[in-house]
Amino acid sequence: MINSIFRYGLIIVLLMLLQILVLNNIQFSGFVNPYVYIMIILLLPSITPAWLVLIISFLTGLIIDLFFGSPGMHASATLLAGFSRPFVLRVIAPRDGYETGSDLSMAVYGFRWFAIYATTIVLIHHTALFFIEVFRFADFFRTIFRILVSSLFTTGFILLIEYYRKGK
Amino acid sequence: MRNLLNFLLKYINIIVFLFLEGIALYWLTSGNSYHNSTVVKGMQGITRGLEERISNVRSYLNLREINANLSAENSSLRNRIEKLSAREDLRFVSVGDSLFRQQYQYTHARVINNSVNKQKNYFTIDKGTLQGIKVDMAVTSGKDVVGVIVGCSGNFSVGISLLNLDFRLSARIRSNGYFGSLSWDGRNYRHAVLNEIPQHIIVNVGDTIETTGFSAIFPEGVEIGTVSDVKKSGSDFYKITIELFTDFKKVQYVNVIGNLKRTEQIQLENQLQ
Repeated sequence: MINSIFRYGLIIVLLMLLQILVLNNIQFSGFVNPYVYIMIILLLPSITPAWLVLIISFLTGLIIDLFFGSPGMHASATLLAGFSRPFVLRVIAPRDGYETGSDLSMAVYGFRWFAIYATTIVLIHHTALFFIEVFRFADFFRTIFRILVSSLFTTGFILLIEYYRKGK
Repeated sequence: MRNLLNFLLKYINIIVFLFLEGIALYWLTSGNSYHNSTVVKGMQGITRGLEERISNVRSYLNLREINANLSAENSSLRNRIEKLSAREDLRFVSVGDSLFRQQYQYTHARVINNSVNKQKNYFTIDKGTLQGIKVDMAVTSGKDVVGVIVGCSGNFSVGISLLNLDFRLSARIRSNGYFGSLSWDGRNYRHAVLNEIPQHIIVNVGDTIETTGFSAIFPEGVEIGTVSDVKKSGSDFYKITIELFTDFKKVQYVNVIGNLKRTEQIQLENQLQ
């Protein structure tokens, strides 16, 4: 128990540092912003109670907001992703259900399951985030385009990281 | 009482969600307006230390380019001194006041935090009220527009970048003097849009756009960019796309320009309105 808390703490810190020190500085053509920190929400174990997921998502978004100088944007979008996580997990549950106490990782449930899971949560998060950022429905299709391109990059990054994590 | 507790237990997730989302949205709406940059300012107090360190590393890596820019600017300034000093000598002026005829005061500063990929971009510089920076001072890079200071603390200032949907600037076409309103449409960090130029005027691709000085923030004639595309829209006005001179991705050293006569001008204008 203590061991796994320590392990998730380490994952959270590493992902935060990756986001803040490296990915925040990638400003590729003004369209692509990978937000890999959302992986923190993805990887929480399946037994985490829903309210704890919500609090962790809020705090994650809060810290990212502090570094971005964007009040409330990431906090509200990440919170929405954390809120939708139990529903997504229920919809895409494998046939035998989730093993109690297992990690929600590619190593346990396979590439296909994890890809669907990551894509869904990332799309929810990015849709909320980009619409909150522009805060209007003018330029609707351009916003949609930004959401799709950024989601593609974020999901790609997440799958890559998860793949190497699986290899270890 | 028991029913209430059961109710709370059953819906605890939704209650926590709505409560936290409420906090986030309140923060979002109260913190994001143009003048209310106090939140941004306060938050950056926490993260500034780390950002400054990151920026130090980055500026070291770009030294070569900065040197080239500095020497180019030096030479152009030297040329200007040459011209001006020749003219001064003709008139035999001698004045004791060091601020005689000076309207603008320049301070140089380093950008320690900046972005181009958001819809509302801000930047942070490493000088603040202790170094004489005040709100509403203009920020330029070389001869080109960067933004306007919107909040200061002791040693740091936050500026609104030209790349911000809330940014408006009075700009004119250098060749014929017609002025309009410059803003950013949120699409490309290299382009901005000039509005309110009526359609009977001839605008050519390649024309230089500069500031007017009407707002008493920017001096007159600071360069912004060149016209890259002219479109006739349905209304009476052109939609002119401007390619910016400033490359916001590599802005590092900036000049902060204070207008020494701004208060006087604003006071007079307010009296008459």
